[in-house]
Amino acid sequence: MNLYLQYLTALAPEVIVVATALLVLVMDLVLVREKPFAQRVGLTGAIACMGCGLAMVWVELVPCSIHSAMLSVSPLTQWVKVPLLLLTIFAAVLSWNERFTRHAGEYFALLLLAAAGLMLLVSSESLLMIFVALELLSTSLYALAAFDKSGVASSEAALKYFLFGGMSAAFTLFGISLIYGIAGDIQLDVIATRLRGHPVEPVFYAALVMTLVGFAFKLAAAPFHLWAPDVYEGAPTPVASFIASGSKVAAFFVLARILLSAFPGARGTASLGGHLPGWAPLLMVLAVLSMVAGNVAAIVQTNVKRLLAYSAIAHAGYALLALLADRRHALSALLFYTITYAFTVLGAFAVVGVVEESGRKASLADFAGLSRRAPLLSFCMLVFMLSLAGIPPLSGFFGKFYVFTAAADTAPKLSLLWLVVLAVAASAVSLYYYLQVLKQIYAVAPAPASAWPRPALSARVAIVLLAAIVIVLGCVPDLLLGKISELLKSNSF
Amino acid sequence: MQACLFYLFAALTLLCGVLVIANPFTRNPVTSAMFLVLTIVSLAGLFVLLHAFFLAAVQILVYAGAVMVLFLFVIMLLDLKEEERRKIKAGAGVLGLAAAGGIALLMIAVIRQSNAGVGLKPASAEGSTLDLGKRLFTDYALPFELISLVLLVAMIGTVLLSKKDLK
Repeated sequence: MNLYLQYLTALAPEVIVVATALLVLVMDLVLVREKPFAQRVGLTGAIACMGCGLAMVWVELVPCSIHSAMLSVSPLTQWVKVPLLLLTIFAAVLSWNERFTRHAGEYFALLLLAAAGLMLLVSSESLLMIFVALELLSTSLYALAAFDKSGVASSEAALKYFLFGGMSAAFTLFGISLIYGIAGDIQLDVIATRLRGHPVEPVFYAALVMTLVGFAFKLAAAPFHLWAPDVYEGAPTPVASFIASGSKVAAFFVLARILLSAFPGARGTASLGGHLPGWAPLLMVLAVLSMVAGNVAAIVQTNVKRLLAYSAIAHAGYALLALLADRRHALSALLFYTITYAFTVLGAFAVVGVVEESGRKASLADFAGLSRRAPLLSFCMLVFMLSLAGIPPLSGFFGKFYVFTAAADTAPKLSLLWLVVLAVAASAVSLYYYLQVLKQIYAVAPAPASAWPRPALSARVAIVLLAAIVIVLGCVPDLLLGKISELLKSNSF
Repeated sequence: MQACLFYLFAALTLLCGVLVIANPFTRNPVTSAMFLVLTIVSLAGLFVLLHAFFLAAVQILVYAGAVMVLFLFVIMLLDLKEEERRKIKAGAGVLGLAAAGGIALLMIAVIRQSNAGVGLKPASAEGSTLDLGKRLFTDYALPFELISLVLLVAMIGTVLLSKKDLK
């Protein structure tokens, strides 16, 4: 009995989110079934946001800390749930005005269950929990990606996502079973103690590669990125924004946890000329491929969603650099980078969603002359694009700067300099395609006689808030970094 | 004797597994489903060798029995004549074989070089229902409950996607 109570208090935020999901389903079925669609979406969406808000308040107000075989709840993991919940709320708000489905209750319930998967992923301590939470997240996202039943694009995207995801999950499970065979346990810190003092077995490297496949898929790191462009393009826009933001933050965090707390001894080195086998060279390969493939392919895109997908692949590459840095900086650089990136990309998708609402597609030409009709929206898009490119006063710049300096500082000093140089060159290339979007918005004349987006108040407020977050975190990065480093100081993980 | 049985069941599992996806004689989906039943049954044999009797029984009852019947229903309800006529592309086949063979060779080489699991104690629990139930509701209570959420998501998703949208 005691055990269950312990779990219940430690997982109260997750329980709140899951209970809200069930409440949303029941409300939609019982109370508002016959009401007009706008009311149904409004009510169920509001409940979903309130549930996430309540969970956030709980996380902030009720400190909790437990470390068991399955679960690790610490101030750090609790804090990471706050941006995840915020991202969920933003995605829910942006769905309010979308008309891609008539099933409001199911939509928000699945969104909330995906959020619960994200939160559980963050505080999992055993590989089994990590796998199950990952499956909860993935299954919800597959269903969400297929929500738009008016055309084939959404179903095709979902099917592709599902097949790729299932295959990579199978590889990850195989890898996890091999790790269990080697270490005899699935709890992260127990694995670390069992592996300590033994020479690393060759089969362990095979297990490592296989386990990484599933995570590389979730992060959309090359060569496991093939699903990303189709899914970002085909899935409903709020869903695509959630896939691009929330699931990335959680996947990066849990990957860092696995690598840094379970396999600290199998690190290896990624420096040029002095390779030692381990996970660092694997991440290095993923990072290089992602940066090159993402940036090169993004240049030729004419659809803004596909462009954002390839840019997401490139950004996964930059963020992987943070993991290669020394333990001291790796986690704070990674968290700062992924969180600011998530808010930025969510904002960019929100603007794309608003443009699509006016009956347009998301191709570059559809953005022509946006600044004449929607100056505020255009300015926000400018902020998001420049932040993604890494232009100074915005948070994207500081994130990249921190990641690159942390990677360059890795002991032995400057051993990863070539990677950093490559990353800087890649992000210089990326400026070209971000500016392509801005050129359409600001410099090209609009097509005559076409409908223009009239974003709803909620969407406008959300976009402006996201832009404000991006600007503020760029000007005062200490707001976020101070908190992260304080949390990292107080507990090891 | 034990080792003999192990190799027998393992070989059967692999052979039937291959025949599910690449049967050289027929491309009839029903035959594939039948070979899947055989794969599951031989896997159950492996479970018995590990003293996991309950798991073996459940494997046959639930997977080979209930789930496969549903599989067959779906296959027979769908019109899969097209699938039968479709040829496997030679390039894709060669590439797939090369990839699978490469991974298999790599795994064999790597496992032969390692002496993993030597220092580990054999599992203490026998696979009885009592032990299994205790484990599920104490040590593994959390993942067990989580799986119910995964099933809920799968259910909502399936109902939603298979429903016809009346516009």
